[in-house]
Amino acid sequence: MSATTVTAAAPDRAVPGLPEPLPGPRPASGVPFLRLAGVELRKMLDTRAGRWLVIGIGAVIAAALTVLLVQDGGEHPFADYLQATTMPMALLLPVVGILAVTSEWSQRTALVTFTLEPRRPRVAWAKTLAALGVGVVAVLTAFAFGAAAHGAAVAFRGATGDWELAGTAVLGAAGYVLLGLLQAVGFAMLLRNTPAAVVAYFALPTAWSLVGQLVPQARTAAEWLDLNRTMEPLFTGSLTGEQWAQLGTSVGLWVALPLALGIWWITRAEVK
Amino acid sequence: MITVDHVTKRYGSFTALDDVSFEARPGRVTGFLGPNGAGKTTAMRVVAGLTPASAGTATVLGRPYATLPNPGRHVGLLLDASAQHAGRTGREVLTLGAILTGVERRRVDVLLDLVGLTPKESNRRIRNYSLGMRQRLGIAHALLGDPEVLVLDEPANGLDPAGIRWMRGLLRDFAARGGTVLLSSHLLNEIERVADDLVVIGGGRIVASGPTEQLLAGSGTVVRSSDDARLAATLAAQSVTVTPVAAGGLLVDADPGAVGRAALAAGVALVELRGGDERGLEEMFFDLTASSSREGVAA
Repeated sequence: MSATTVTAAAPDRAVPGLPEPLPGPRPASGVPFLRLAGVELRKMLDTRAGRWLVIGIGAVIAAALTVLLVQDGGEHPFADYLQATTMPMALLLPVVGILAVTSEWSQRTALVTFTLEPRRPRVAWAKTLAALGVGVVAVLTAFAFGAAAHGAAVAFRGATGDWELAGTAVLGAAGYVLLGLLQAVGFAMLLRNTPAAVVAYFALPTAWSLVGQLVPQARTAAEWLDLNRTMEPLFTGSLTGEQWAQLGTSVGLWVALPLALGIWWITRAEVK
Repeated sequence: MITVDHVTKRYGSFTALDDVSFEARPGRVTGFLGPNGAGKTTAMRVVAGLTPASAGTATVLGRPYATLPNPGRHVGLLLDASAQHAGRTGREVLTLGAILTGVERRRVDVLLDLVGLTPKESNRRIRNYSLGMRQRLGIAHALLGDPEVLVLDEPANGLDPAGIRWMRGLLRDFAARGGTVLLSSHLLNEIERVADDLVVIGGGRIVASGPTEQLLAGSGTVVRSSDDARLAATLAAQSVTVTPVAAGGLLVDADPGAVGRAALAAGVALVELRGGDERGLEEMFFDLTASSSREGVAA
């Protein structure tokens, strides 16, 4: 034990091995929310899965734009090009959102995440904000690439420029991507399991759409609660007050409710 | 400083922790010893605020872990070296931690160097890491925020003997700087060399705790005498537990002084008298945990 006593009595700085103590006092305030959101954003893209998903989306968009440029001499309206860039994002980006949440459980990184920031609702909101950030960048990219491709078709393929978009189509394209992402994040928080969340995200709304079309009793409910249907008017033109209300109701059911329940659940779940 | 105060954790009818109380003090390495499934990990998870206690409280640096501001700058945790994203590189894991805790990125390289992960290794994805490499990465992650308290769950698992010795030195240094270290192990001889204090848990209950030296000394006495049977009878009359050793002599659950006095009283000449060795503590550990795990099953 005498050796221990000698070590303990030695001056603090003489201890080898350990790095120098960090200068300054220890923080008395928590991790700023934006820093947390920034880290969550980085976590979405720094894994092999995340990176390949983004590369995959880029490849699908490139393929779709190539087809449009080659087909009929590129003679398509801007709306078509926009759809070609938006659709792959709307379909595949939600998987990025799902993985951002479920990988914390499947890869068990929640252990680290929730010990570095024990205020779990903040982590959940940071993930939601990061997903939104990805979505906004995706929408802007979709517009930029769609416009560039259409411009290229006009300039180099001699296509007629047709830049007309329905008044709410921009909103529709953005909503399509952003609401899909939020819905996916909500489902992922509720289920915390990658296959379950992916299947639920893709199958449930489609199944509900089918029920709404095939079962007469469910028709009125579907008009208000089928997100696929309530979003349609956004792409074609202006919405009536009732259509806005229907859109709002369906967003509440498919996006806000899963998110709220998911965040509540994450706060309580035991992290294994 | 870690204080666990009368913590009980129940899962349905199963009691994982039963009225557990212990302390880990600054400037000391506290070894948390117990067989697999004894409750070590559960207790550490309660300390880290990951598992809510059914009753009782656990505090780190005087407050519940969850209320620590930027906890990574106060407490370094390594609860499970395998709980890292397989598709992320080791360096990226540390970089994420550095950004979140607000530590300069330069420290990532310093720590990679400290735990002996080469730049090439640090840029590989964790799915390709051995358990030893994951432990080293975990130790680097725990030290990232220059914490005052370290909580490490079985950090020696997967480390080679040189790695274990290196880690021991590291923890001793950390404690010498005034830090608090709580580390768990299911291997007594792995922990007794580094721990100043021991907390022994079995079946969800603390079965022994105190300075390692004391627990070692209190692990009994080996005695051989001119008349072992007579000495055994005398000791038994004092309600001291006596176990005959096959090779001759007795293992007595009392300190050498008491045994010597008993021999004097019995008029028996001593041939050998010494305090319990490592094996004695190991037996105590085995007995304590075995008996309490039987109780655990019966309950």
